[in-house]
Formats: sequence, structure tokens, C-alpha cells
Amino acid sequence: MIKGWTGKRLRIDLSLQKAWLEDISQEVLRQWFGGRGLNASFFSTHFQSPVSPSSPENPVAFAVGPLTGTLAPCSGWTSIASFSPLSTPPIYGFTWMPGYFGASLKGVGVDQCVLQGKADRPIYLWIDDGEVRFEEAGHLWGKETTETTITLQEEKEDRNIEVLCIGPAGERQIPFANVIHRLSWTGDYLGLGYLFGIKQLKAIAIRGKKPITLHDPKQFLNLCLNLEDRIQKDRKVQKLKQGGKLPFLSREGETMIKEGTGGLRAGLAKQWSAFLKTCVSSREGCFTCPVNCGRNIQHQESYFRGIHLEKAWHLGPQVGVYNGEWTLKLHHLCQSQGLDPFLTSSLLAKIMKGSEYAPLSEEDLRQTEHIEDPGEKAFIILQRIINGGRKEFHLPARPASENKHLDALADIISFCPIVVKHLTQRTVSNMIDLIYAATGYFLSKEDLRDMVRNILRVESRLQNMGLDANDHSPLPLPGESQTSEILRREERNNESTAQRTTS
Amino acid sequence: MSAISVIPERCTGCQACEMVCSLSHEDACSSSLSRIRVKKWEEISLFIPIVCQNCEKPPCVDVCPTGARRRVSETGAVVTDEKQCVGCKSCLYVCPNGAPVFHPSTKRTMTCDLCKGRPLCTEICTVGALSYIRERDVSMEKKRVYGQVFLQAMKSR
Repeated sequence: MIKGWTGKRLRIDLSLQKAWLEDISQEVLRQWFGGRGLNASFFSTHFQSPVSPSSPENPVAFAVGPLTGTLAPCSGWTSIASFSPLSTPPIYGFTWMPGYFGASLKGVGVDQCVLQGKADRPIYLWIDDGEVRFEEAGHLWGKETTETTITLQEEKEDRNIEVLCIGPAGERQIPFANVIHRLSWTGDYLGLGYLFGIKQLKAIAIRGKKPITLHDPKQFLNLCLNLEDRIQKDRKVQKLKQGGKLPFLSREGETMIKEGTGGLRAGLAKQWSAFLKTCVSSREGCFTCPVNCGRNIQHQESYFRGIHLEKAWHLGPQVGVYNGEWTLKLHHLCQSQGLDPFLTSSLLAKIMKGSEYAPLSEEDLRQTEHIEDPGEKAFIILQRIINGGRKEFHLPARPASENKHLDALADIISFCPIVVKHLTQRTVSNMIDLIYAATGYFLSKEDLRDMVRNILRVESRLQNMGLDANDHSPLPLPGESQTSEILRREERNNESTAQRTTS
Repeated sequence: MSAISVIPERCTGCQACEMVCSLSHEDACSSSLSRIRVKKWEEISLFIPIVCQNCEKPPCVDVCPTGARRRVSETGAVVTDEKQCVGCKSCLYVCPNGAPVFHPSTKRTMTCDLCKGRPLCTEICTVGALSYIRERDVSMEKKRVYGQVFLQAMKSR
């Protein structure tokens, strides 16, 4: 019997309005593990060449790992993959989303959920403990994300269900639209809002409460408590916990100021972050997270639920807006309309600098020319882009990851990359122990490394097939020097693992 | 006697308490098996952990037709005796907090048993929303916060 995982894939066809379960064998699970790995495996077995993002057969796949939905700390992330509309020709794109959606998906009893097809009218999905229903979403169409979320929860008479929805921007099929989960979390750099909009899928409401069984529950409990304790004592994590991402953010800001990128002004940036600090009202965290690095903002009697400071940075100094209030308004607009804050920021930055005009009509340009306050200007421009209905945007790709091995490692287990990155004590052996207690499958470090490499290879092949589908030549293996820092660090002091393996 | 003190303002809704409760009592992870439940209103960032408060005059004990609800003398927890419980759900209806939950597979009710004097949910809660403290200290935190407000007001006069 499969433990830790559920061994099921939920396939949903929106055209036929049918949903069915598929088995995922233990071998496949052990080879691809979960999250990003499962998604890469699904796409590589089902697609020889990329399909158009707007076609019905383009799947949107959500996947979780063996530790998702359990007590394992920081394991609340979900991996999402699809052929992305953000580039031409379309390529395989993947992203990850923090929050509670993954845990609910696991609670439904599936490791992966694949959406295909295209509804003929606006619908939303209601997934209730394994039962999937396709419900009319006519009354939700056009509503902002907050209203959609609350309306769905009130309709189902359960405020504890999780909702993943798009806003008006997604309905208008703006390429950089996004999905919003719990009014706060997003899956960025994939154009998910566009994909949902094309499929006429307004939202996914999910309630998953099925028990997740584990190989060795007692051991798992002890390991989790130990790990939780170690995370608490880690100095870097304590910093993250106390200040949210703000200390890291200002450091990033300082380097940017030093390098002179983006024409940042140090004094104003400081004022800007000081203002945001005064608005922080409470903390927020993902499923079973002991760190809670998110912050909620309360400003002028209204809640801007879940402000993620790196997003605020992108909608603040990054686009030349040093007025904290306008940053909050921009952030709120992105949140309620369902826009990707990073892509919005890069687009706005170009428009504000005057190097890009395509998204705006001549009328828009005339109307916004005279506005002096950069914050107000950015806000009005963004509103006009949302309502303008233009589709041609030059959007950047996701910035290259600092350590793609580490990111991939975090992502296949659906761990939080932020915590994994900032942690020195949480080593690979902790993860291996946890995985063993959850699934009964003992991985060696080499297995884990091979798995990460294999997944990166498959992903790279999936992404390259947009250029030449016939090229199946073996891809170069990442060099030893590129091997993730955490794996190397682990190798240097791996006595504990070695001892345990021999005993 | 000690009690679980809940400070909802601090709760971030991470559900770690639910997971540790179900894992330690039922050997599986699910909020449906947990004796503590977090209710959420995300648009105003309000999360309230609901757990049995082990009342001094527990109405669930009075209403239980089979005498399955009783107080454990060592910890002061009011628990359900699974052998006597018939699953009539009377305690669910009568509880002022809505704390008892219905076990989905055994079909008996269950409430917090204080983990035999060491509640794991209070240990796993890193934001201090749940704590296991002496009963007479339960309102201490509120008093301290109020005191500080008062202090500020006096200083700024």
C-alpha cells in the first residue's frame, strides 16, 4: 500500500464536464517523487511537441509532494505546470504557489490534478472530498477575487474551504493575469489567469479532509517536532520570522541602489519601507509553517490581505513609486483584479520609463501624460491596460534561479524554497528521514541528486522542444561545481546519515 | 490545574495544531481527525482555534445519556469514553463553544484530552496563539496588554 503519497491523479475534462481518477504507480512516484517531478513526467509522456496555450488540450497540472498536507513544517507548496502563453513560441512553464491549496488537494486524495478542455460557458469547479462538480459561474463572472472567494465560501456554507480564483483580468485573457488563492497567494510567471480565462474556469473551490496515512506515524511525529525545534532556533529563520521578508528585501534594495540599477534613490526607498512597516497589522503563513514570513497590511480601515514584501517592492521603488500609499493601492489592484505582480511591475517600469507604448492606445497616452505623481500615473495606466483589451505585451521570463538544484529539490518535495534557502541547519538528511517516515522509501543522497538532475533534464528538454521537437540529443549534465550548496554541505558532514544507514 | 489558553489575535491559521493533534491521536494527518479546529475569515485575517475548554460545569456531562462524558481527575480534561459513547451527538449540540467533534470512522464524539498533561498543539504553536498555562493565569496576557495601553496613555498625558 502506498503511504505518504495517495497514488491517484485527478483528471478533469472541462469540455465534457467529466472527472476521473487515474492510478499513479509506486514506481512512477518513486522515480518522479512529486510536485514538479510529477508534472514534468506527465507532460513528457503525453506531449511530443508543445500545444498552443489557448487550445483546449493544453493542460494545467497541479501537483504536490509526499509530505504535503502532513505535519512536516513548510510543506504547503503546490507545483503548477502548463504550456505558458508568456512566450512565443509557447514553451513548457512551471511555477509554485504557497498557501493551503496543495494540502487541500492532498486531502481530496490525489497527488496530481490535471485540468484539460474548455468550458462552453463560465463555470467553477467544486471538489468536495473526491467528488467533482461543474457548477455555473455566471453570477461570479466579472467579480473581483475577494468577492468571488467570499461568495463561494458563503454559498457552500463553509468558510474553511479553499478557493483558487481569477479576477476580471483573467476573464479578459490578459497574458499576465494570475490566479489568487486565499486573497493573497499567487503562482507567478506562468500566465495562469489567462489559462483559466481561456478555459472559462472562474474558480476552483476545494474541500479535502481525507486522512493522509504515513509509514511510521510515531517516528514522523518526533521528526517533525525536532525539525520544528531546529527551525525555531535557526538564527536566519528567526530573522525571517521577526521581520518578515523585509530585512532581506532591504538588503536586496541596497545592492540595487549600490549597483545603480533602476535609478533607485536610497533615502526615498528607506522612507517607503518605513511607511510599509507602520501598516503591518498581523502575520500570515502557509500550511503548517512555523515561520510565518507573510504580513497582512491594514491601511485606512481596509485590509490588504497578505502583502508579500518582494511583491510590494516590485510595485514600489522598482517602478519608480516611492509613495507607500500608491504601492498599497497598486498591490491591491493586482490582488483584486488577479494580476501577476512581477510581470505587472516589469511592464509598468518600461511604460513609466517611456520605452514601451504598445499596451496603451493613443488616447490612454494623452490622458496619462500630464499626471505628475508617479504612483497615480502607474495606477491609472494599469487600470487602462486592464480595461483596454490589448493582447500584445513584451513580458520577461522568470529571472534565473540562484540555485536551480536547490529550488528543484524544494519543489519536488513541495517544501518552501524560501525557508530552505535561508536555512543552514535543515539538511538533506532531515528531508530524507522525513520522507522515509512518511513513505517507507529510503532515498540515498545520490538518489536524490540523480532525481533532481533527471527532472531538470526532462524540463529542459520539454522547454527546448519549442525550438526543435526532433532534437533528442542528450542534454549536458550539470557540472559538479553547479551541484547545490546544500548537497555539498551535506556531503562534508554526513556522518549521522552514514551511521544510521549502517545501523 | 492548567488550561489551554487561546489568543485568536495571534493565530495565523497555519493548522499545525490540527495536524499534530490528528497525528498524535489517530496516526494520520487530517483536520477531520483533529480535536482542535481552526475557523477562518481570511478577508479580515481572523483565525480562531476552537478547542474544548473543559468547563467547570460541563453541560456535555449533564446531557450525555450514557454517562460517557466524564472528567479525568489527573488533568481535569473532560473526555468521551469510547466504549460507553453511542454517538448520539448530544454533546455536540449542547456545547457552548461547539468544541466536540464527531470522529468520521469510529462514529463517536471526541474532545481535547490535554494529551495527558502535555498538549502538543501548544508546543507546536510558534506564534503563541495556544499556550498551556495555569488557569489563574489565563487572563494575564489580556491584563498585560491592557496595562500597556493604560501606561502609554498615562505617559502621553
